[in-house]
Amino acid sequence: MGSLDSRALAPLPERTGRFDPRAKLTVYLLGFGLILLATQVADLLLFNVAALLAVAILRLGRSWWRIVRLLWPTLLLFALIVGLDGGFEAAAGATLRLLALVTVGGVFFATTPPEELGEALLASGLSPHAAFLLEGALRFAPTMAILAREVREAQESRGIRLDGLYLLRNGIALLTPLLVDAMRFADDLAEALEARGFGGPLRTPLTEYRFQASDWALVAGALAVAGALAVT
Amino acid sequence: MAAQIVTCRGVNYRYPVTGALALRNLDFAIAPGEFVLLAGASGSGKSTLCRLLNGLIPHLHGGEVEGNLTVADADPRRTPPHRMNRVVGLLLQRPDAQCLAATVARDLAFGPACQGLERPTIARRAREAAERLDIVHLLERAPHTLSGGEQQRVALAGVLALKPRLLVLDEPFAFLDAVGAARLRELLRQLRAAGVTLIVAEHRLGEIASDADRMLVLHEGRLVADGPPTAVLGGDVEKWGLEPPEPLPALPPRMATAAATPVIEWDRIWCERDGQSVLRAASLRSAAGEIVALLGANGAGKSTLLRHGNGLLRGPRGTVRVLGRPVGRRPVAELAREVGLVIQQPARMLFASTVRAELAAGPRALSRHDPNWCARLSERFGLDPLLDRPPQLLSAGEQRRTAIAAVLASRPRALLLDEPTAGQDARARAILRALLEECASEGVAITLATHDLAWAYPLCRRWAVLTEGRIAADADPATILAQTELMYRAHLSALALAA
Repeated sequence: MGSLDSRALAPLPERTGRFDPRAKLTVYLLGFGLILLATQVADLLLFNVAALLAVAILRLGRSWWRIVRLLWPTLLLFALIVGLDGGFEAAAGATLRLLALVTVGGVFFATTPPEELGEALLASGLSPHAAFLLEGALRFAPTMAILAREVREAQESRGIRLDGLYLLRNGIALLTPLLVDAMRFADDLAEALEARGFGGPLRTPLTEYRFQASDWALVAGALAVAGALAVT
Repeated sequence: MAAQIVTCRGVNYRYPVTGALALRNLDFAIAPGEFVLLAGASGSGKSTLCRLLNGLIPHLHGGEVEGNLTVADADPRRTPPHRMNRVVGLLLQRPDAQCLAATVARDLAFGPACQGLERPTIARRAREAAERLDIVHLLERAPHTLSGGEQQRVALAGVLALKPRLLVLDEPFAFLDAVGAARLRELLRQLRAAGVTLIVAEHRLGEIASDADRMLVLHEGRLVADGPPTAVLGGDVEKWGLEPPEPLPALPPRMATAAATPVIEWDRIWCERDGQSVLRAASLRSAAGEIVALLGANGAGKSTLLRHGNGLLRGPRGTVRVLGRPVGRRPVAELAREVGLVIQQPARMLFASTVRAELAAGPRALSRHDPNWCARLSERFGLDPLLDRPPQLLSAGEQRRTAIAAVLASRPRALLLDEPTAGQDARARAILRALLEECASEGVAITLATHDLAWAYPLCRRWAVLTEGRIAADADPATILAQTELMYRAHLSALALAA
């Protein structure tokens, strides 16, 4: 029966992963809140260890490392600024907090495709517009990256360098076409959305999302842990 | 007599803010099942009319619509686009902005899902649209990883999944190679046979003039001709900026170029993308004063080969030589002194506050600014009246001219152009052809990648055909056109010459 259903519904996507995106969102928001509320360096260290454990179990080490490699100058700068004002402990706390937030966010987004999250929330009554905002922000990031690469290549082909410190001097040659084209793209996208019926009140989720026992167990477990941590 | 699917009586449309009239006193009706070719120069009002028919105007763009307009018994002024789209499907010009979801499968399902249909119905429609457009193999791909031609097919499939009774297509042939265009023509014939009413706005008249029942011509917002395409094209349509399909002109004898010193040489270039070979020992040379057309199917590697020419790409094997010197590790910005590249979307090159500043930007960065040369270029490219205007606000044709002039302002010895006529009307294409001929006569080596055989035929004395990763033939147009099997492999069609 199941295979018959999936054939009848092909090529519509099926739910991926073990848990419902809404269950994962609940756990993520709880973790996010606890990290924000933590004040002790030891607690923040514990959160980082827990988050890194999740990274290891889910085999997300490579993508986590890519994010951290991009982020380390920001982390360093952040630590310096906070440290100059509040001393070593404040700097360590702020850096650990930021790192834990990034790691938790990385785990959530790596395991929850935005379109699935959007659709699951749509099934829970979120408006089609809000759901698309959630999906679209990530859907069009690669398109914008391609656009930025094309602008950079076009300018360098004219002799206008944008590498290293040249970016400070010639940045306008990158930013202006990028902004203009991004705005045009947004206009064209708005037209395409309207033409495909987006403006209406309806949108059927492409996948059926139902909270199952495992999802309830995940949420209950996370609530219990969060409650215990909040009490201690 | 069956009720008309479109009735337009005395319709005027004024743009918001400026209040300028974009459509003036339009008066026509279209019967169900008709295949209408909508023609006109850039800015004539074709795209505006397309948007009016499904309610994007005035619901999204605003403005003021007067007169009597009915589309499938509804007034698009009072019916929002998300309800009009149950009847009117609209394919817009920019394919990358019309692929709305993370995968092609999700994209095809997007429209039916927005109509609130049940999942099995959505799945069936997505499946049918994918099969119809032959994109089943792309269903799991992310749209941004597809070529322009593939994106165009996905976008059209997304519109067909809405099952429209009236299909409006705005320049659907702009990004397609000959085989893609032939497939689209066949699809349009099938849709017409199935009773779908078709309105196709297009510059490349030869692509569909023979299939259409009727041709409407817009000029400065007015309907100036309405009749069978043969009758309309038999008249003087050039005054409206149209280029009638004509027999091939006789070409002057081929220029002797064998002894000319090459400016750029691509010597056995290899290139891989996503684990697939795009170029396999592709070799080409371009000499001073020559204009070489680089032809091939969508995704054949034309842009990739051009980008090797100015160092943007460097393959693992093969050598590019500019003026006899290997490119090696020389920075792109340094090579810009010798090789200029104009990309497919020239708007992405323009950043200065005025056209004048735009022309000076490249030469200044290369410390070779010559105001006299810039002034000459400005005059030659017809940019003098535009010098103080922001380049971002120019028309597509003006932007293309500005971009080419901005590249030539650095006095490169070679000019590479990627699809220079995409989306350009007949007048802009004719101006561009004359300008490139003038540049070549001054010794610039020009290599251009194009699908536009009709435009390239009288301009380029050499046609280099890129297929299966290499230049399979490099000869004069007549010799290439005589090689039927090669033309087929490279997705070229002599029919496109009538476009």
